[in-house]
Amino acid sequence: MSDAELTYEQAMGRLEETLKRMESDKLTLDEAVKAAEDAQRYFRICVQRLEEARKKIEVRAEPETTE
Amino acid sequence: MPTPPSGGLAAGLSTGEEAKPYTVTELANEIRRELRPLTALLLKGEVSGMKQGSKGHYSFVIRDSQSLINAFIYADDARRVTTLPEDGQVFIFRGRVDYWTQYGSLRFIVDQVEFDDVGKLRARLEELKRRLESEGAFAPERKRRLPFLPRSVAILTSPTGAVIHDLQETIWDRYPNMGIVVYPVQVQGAGAPMSVARALRRCNQERLADVIVLARGGGSFEEMYAFNTELVVRAILDSRLPVVTALGHTSDRTVADLVGDAECRTPTEAGARVVPKKADLLAGLHERQRRMEREINRRFSREADRLNRAQADIARLSPIRQLERRELAVRDLQRRMHAALNLRLSVAQATLTATGGRERIQRLLANRLADQARRLEGQRRRLVALSPDSVLTRGYSITRDAATGAILRSAAEARVDQGISIQLGSGKLAGRVEGVEA
Repeated sequence: MSDAELTYEQAMGRLEETLKRMESDKLTLDEAVKAAEDAQRYFRICVQRLEEARKKIEVRAEPETTE
Repeated sequence: MPTPPSGGLAAGLSTGEEAKPYTVTELANEIRRELRPLTALLLKGEVSGMKQGSKGHYSFVIRDSQSLINAFIYADDARRVTTLPEDGQVFIFRGRVDYWTQYGSLRFIVDQVEFDDVGKLRARLEELKRRLESEGAFAPERKRRLPFLPRSVAILTSPTGAVIHDLQETIWDRYPNMGIVVYPVQVQGAGAPMSVARALRRCNQERLADVIVLARGGGSFEEMYAFNTELVVRAILDSRLPVVTALGHTSDRTVADLVGDAECRTPTEAGARVVPKKADLLAGLHERQRRMEREINRRFSREADRLNRAQADIARLSPIRQLERRELAVRDLQRRMHAALNLRLSVAQATLTATGGRERIQRLLANRLADQARRLEGQRRRLVALSPDSVLTRGYSITRDAATGAILRSAAEARVDQGISIQLGSGKLAGRVEGVEA
């Protein structure tokens, strides 16, 4: 699943998982740098998702019946 | 206006004089007038042949075991009645009898419909529930999960009233920029089940929102009837978007509540259920940002520590340091050697002192010094004897040119009348050259 398709919750899940890996101290330095990049990316997606909803009321009136 | 025929039909036809025949319209109007007292009647019967007309009216038949009467509900009344009659059900109808002159037919015009027997209706409801239960419609595993954060929320409710306002307020209080799509529906009356079912289908087709809230402000069993109809229940079951019900405080849960994916009572509760608090999400996000930064810093400082330790190890193990260490060892040896030598020297000196050698050396040195002093004095005297002052004391003099101070060493250097100065052993003379004999 590409980043664009991630929902807030999915991105948050990945951020949390990446953080846990970073905190586990089991990563090589390269992996840790990659993980830090990933974490930052997921963080940005989360922030973006929070802002994406648009404040708007749309009223969908029933179409006229044409029987 | 013709009077009704008083005699037999044969008599009337034969005389033709005393009774003028009705026109059709006259008779139709007469029938109509005669029926007028049959108004605000209550009529109990079973419904069959229910048909909806294009203008929103309904036509059907009300019957009992022996008789039937055609019935009609105008569109305006259809929107007001609490429930729409369904085939096979017995209702109590309120209305009037009307004769439609242009069709020559008699209709019972219904303006209100009431369940004949709520108990029986409940029994039918229980039957519907049992049927749905056996289909697994209430099973928790069938329920769709509500989105954690919808992009927009669809609200199916009456466009007027407090429910829509409360929902909107709750949603925007929790999530200020959440999108809301309102599908106005009839929440009670005969048209309600169809209106709700149609809106549910539209929500799924249009996909403008990720979750549906079906709401109304509660009501009596009759008022809530739409939410117990199979039409609405099936539409909820068929929805791919999760449906949250908020049908007010009622004594009974409706079947819509049972098949919905989340059941709330009030609009406020439903609003809180479908939309998370943005502030909470942001707080959680920032907490994770802090963790992320802490981890990055921790990792880098740990790597820096490791590097520092490695650097220290490299320094410790390098050949230069090993050389330095050896040099230090050599210096140490040197120092010890000097110390040992000094010790030997002082021992020797002490031995020398003890044997009186020191005094002998000093005496010898003193003699050498006195000898040197004597030689110096002799040389000094010779130097004094050679100085011009001592020559002058012996009677010689030095003649200088008075103007320049230059010493005159031969007569040829002088000329007559030149000013001269003569330095004697003691004092000076000033003179003038009288003659030159070169």
